[in-house]
Amino acid sequence: MSQFGALARFLFMTLWAWRSLPRAGRRVVRRIFINQVWFTAIQAIPLIAMLAGILSFLVISQAARELGRIGATELIGTLMVVVIVRELGPLLTALAIVGRSGTAIAAELATNRVMGEIDALEGMGIDPIHYLVLPRFLAAIVSVFGLLIVFDLAAVLAGLAGAVISGMTSARYLSVVLATLTVSDVGLTIAKGLVFGIVIGIVPSFHGLRSGTAATEVPIAAAHAVIVSIVAIFVLSAVFVMVG
Amino acid sequence: MAETVLLIERVAVGGPESPRVTLEIAAHTTVSVVGEDHTGIGNLGRVAIGLKPPGDGRVTVMGTDLATLSRSELLAYRRLVGYLPAGDGLLQNLTLHQNVALPLRFGSNFSESQIASRLNIMLAATRLTGAEQLRPAQASEEQRRRAALARALAFDPDLVVLEDVFVGLTDRAARDVLETARGGDLPQGSRRTVLTIGPVLPSSVIQRFDLRYRMTRQGLQPED
Repeated sequence: MSQFGALARFLFMTLWAWRSLPRAGRRVVRRIFINQVWFTAIQAIPLIAMLAGILSFLVISQAARELGRIGATELIGTLMVVVIVRELGPLLTALAIVGRSGTAIAAELATNRVMGEIDALEGMGIDPIHYLVLPRFLAAIVSVFGLLIVFDLAAVLAGLAGAVISGMTSARYLSVVLATLTVSDVGLTIAKGLVFGIVIGIVPSFHGLRSGTAATEVPIAAAHAVIVSIVAIFVLSAVFVMVG
Repeated sequence: MAETVLLIERVAVGGPESPRVTLEIAAHTTVSVVGEDHTGIGNLGRVAIGLKPPGDGRVTVMGTDLATLSRSELLAYRRLVGYLPAGDGLLQNLTLHQNVALPLRFGSNFSESQIASRLNIMLAATRLTGAEQLRPAQASEEQRRRAALARALAFDPDLVVLEDVFVGLTDRAARDVLETARGGDLPQGSRRTVLTIGPVLPSSVIQRFDLRYRMTRQGLQPED
């Protein structure tokens, strides 16, 4: 519980940091933010598109074949929207980003601590929350959002390929998918993107900055960051299911 | 009587059980504190710039009690004091040039051209011209130390706190680094007030210090 409280305080400090960021520092933060988006989102597009494509192709091609036998191909829309777009899309995207960027953020910040760079930043009058955490936090939110869109587009297109290969027409596939998609599905996906982005933006930074000054603390910080992030994402997914 | 720039009063730098340390540093003086790790000397610089709380002691810098400052005021205050931490504290993902530029880019309203001209002066003063595009891992220990010093002097502070600044340097480089930190001589002493903290003082620089102290388990003792 004490760790949860510390994490909540850290999130609050990060949100508050935007207000206290010096005007001159905004330019530096913007540049780090762009670098982080490049690393977290742009470089991860092939991975996310591949994950979404393979998952969607396998699920839809199998389902189209089986559901076609009983004349229930309209359920393809439910399968695509509810299972893939609304549930698995945000979950898999978040997990991929945690594995790829969350580990990197935690390890980088823990290394900053080990190398004395955090104290050096403080000594220069630069708040580490401003310089290290804020741009990574904002970049994580933007990246999860962007990659969710990539995931959903890739999933719908791969699902189309799977459906067509299994004998369904593309017009039928698109009509059942679009007929199932509601505003609340889009809203829920956006909400998940925001919440998972906050988790990925804050948990690895928290564990990275909290690490000790021994080099052996770096992998420990990275491991804690990944474990806590994954657990938080699954728990929050369950909360979304209950609320939604 | 010269103005007191830094006053550390009754601070147990080695932990609650360690002896209380009192250190007063007057403007335009160059002061060293040497000692071994177990004496808590590693915390002295951090206490002086407000990175470590002084416990029930007190730290006053240029007339301001650091305990009375809010976090944002403390950050602003640190821009007025040059600090070179032990291990140099250079950011490994930045070049030496970017490291020196960072405090100026983050903490000043200078334009890019003003920053560039200030950087050129700092890099020339610390003899880093030509090496500025190296990353810390590619640079020699001396180059890293010079870059960390240039970064500490970026705002041309009146007080400079240097930790382990002579470790691994040749006598000549140590002398050169100290002279750069002092910023030249004035009739009343050095232009800047300098506090160096570390395990040893090279013989080549001893004469340049106005006061020298040794930290022991018993506390801070003046040296001859």
